[in-house]
Amino acid sequence: MRIRALTPLIFSSLAVMMTGGLQAEELVSHLERTIVGPGPDHWPNRELTVPHVSGDEKFTNSYQFWKDKDAVAEAKKQGKMSHEVNFKDFRWIERSFEADGLASRGEELFKAPNENGQSCATCHGENGAKIVDAQARYPAFNKRLGRVVTMPTQVATCAKERLGKPWVENTKENSLLALYIARLADGRPVSVDVSNGEMKTSYERGRDLFFKRTGHFNFACASCHTPPTAGNFLRGQRPTTFFGDAAQYPVYHFPYQLAGDDLEYLFTLQHQIKSCQSLSRMYPGEEGSPPMTDIEVFLRASANGFPISAPVAFYNLDAEYLE
Amino acid sequence: MPKTATKTRSPWRVLLKPAAVLMIGFAAQAGAQQAVWVPGEPYPVENLKEFACHDYTLPCGKKGSPAIEKVSYTGPRMGDPERGKKIATNVRWGNCMACHALPDHDGGTIAPGLEAYGTRNAPFEYTFQRIWDGRVFNPNAHMPVYGPNQVLTVRDILDVIAYIETGR
Repeated sequence: MRIRALTPLIFSSLAVMMTGGLQAEELVSHLERTIVGPGPDHWPNRELTVPHVSGDEKFTNSYQFWKDKDAVAEAKKQGKMSHEVNFKDFRWIERSFEADGLASRGEELFKAPNENGQSCATCHGENGAKIVDAQARYPAFNKRLGRVVTMPTQVATCAKERLGKPWVENTKENSLLALYIARLADGRPVSVDVSNGEMKTSYERGRDLFFKRTGHFNFACASCHTPPTAGNFLRGQRPTTFFGDAAQYPVYHFPYQLAGDDLEYLFTLQHQIKSCQSLSRMYPGEEGSPPMTDIEVFLRASANGFPISAPVAFYNLDAEYLE
Repeated sequence: MPKTATKTRSPWRVLLKPAAVLMIGFAAQAGAQQAVWVPGEPYPVENLKEFACHDYTLPCGKKGSPAIEKVSYTGPRMGDPERGKKIATNVRWGNCMACHALPDHDGGTIAPGLEAYGTRNAPFEYTFQRIWDGRVFNPNAHMPVYGPNQVLTVRDILDVIAYIETGR
């Protein structure tokens, strides 16, 4: 092998690498770094959280203005602006007819028989008669599986074991069914029981994850979703607190329709968490996994007492607000 | 018998030169097992496992926040304000405008506005420390840990400082 021919190539490559490297090296050599102490692992105030939507009082003290439709109407009469009511006024409470079409597709899946003539309706009743309030009670501890499961995980389990369908979390079918099941419970208050046992542990772990500082930027979910950040502009959006919103998921995310699969704008709650993680440079979780389930338990329990509105659209265009 | 003009080289010798070039390239990236982040492009998802995460089985699930770092920079302070503006206004780089209003650029309202930062006559060391690791001033600071987590290099920070100091 003739090395001579390669020599200019080797040296020029090295020269290029070393020139760029030296500049950065030189600047860093003038930097002295001293560790002064450990950084807090969690965002403060998680001890103020309670598993009920009224817990928002300790954070923004605005709960009285948006606890139900009448309160919102009264607040608007008083001239309260959106940011004074924690942005809970127009975002969720109205139903969306666009999303209703998706929920009806979920209904078709619910009734469609498999090759054995079985469907979800076979066990759960025509029009879901036997599970009308399930959405309000989930996530829940599944005794047979021995763990806490969210509604999408429950759907995946039932679909696989009873119908032989591979409708795992975040598939089109699973999300459509989750939306249909949510619509069945429309109007009912969220009542996730985290008072004891596995559910209590799950709630506490989820709370700690929500307040844990993670990722490239070292943000916690709570960094943006508690005051003073909640209420201010983050890029062009305005974060709100974690109380109440979970009641409206799965949500029709219309303005954020993404290219590709035509259902990428139907957001389950864990899909939303994953989206936030990705935006904040945190390693995104896997839907249906124990940590994501725990965060969902925390969020849904933080909506306890708040009425489910399903199906709704994110940033629903309530024309009243524009006046 | 005269030497033939056309050289008949074995396939192995033909491949040797480009192979050696490739090996130099690989050697240059020695130790870099994962994708290298190109600032301005999405941060490689798998690299995010280097930092604390929401997981129970991955090692990052046991990681905590980086230690708080006090810094002292005594090098040349020249910075490129145009490059600084690119860094500050790019969501996939510094992302400063998410929270801060900037000179001649809108931004979020979460953090103090920096539109007129040049009029504050803040000491250089203070500004550098605020960007590198603001937790020295407040352990619960919201500010990203640009230094300890290697989000920005020293040169990046010098450029950003040069940019915000243009604010009048």
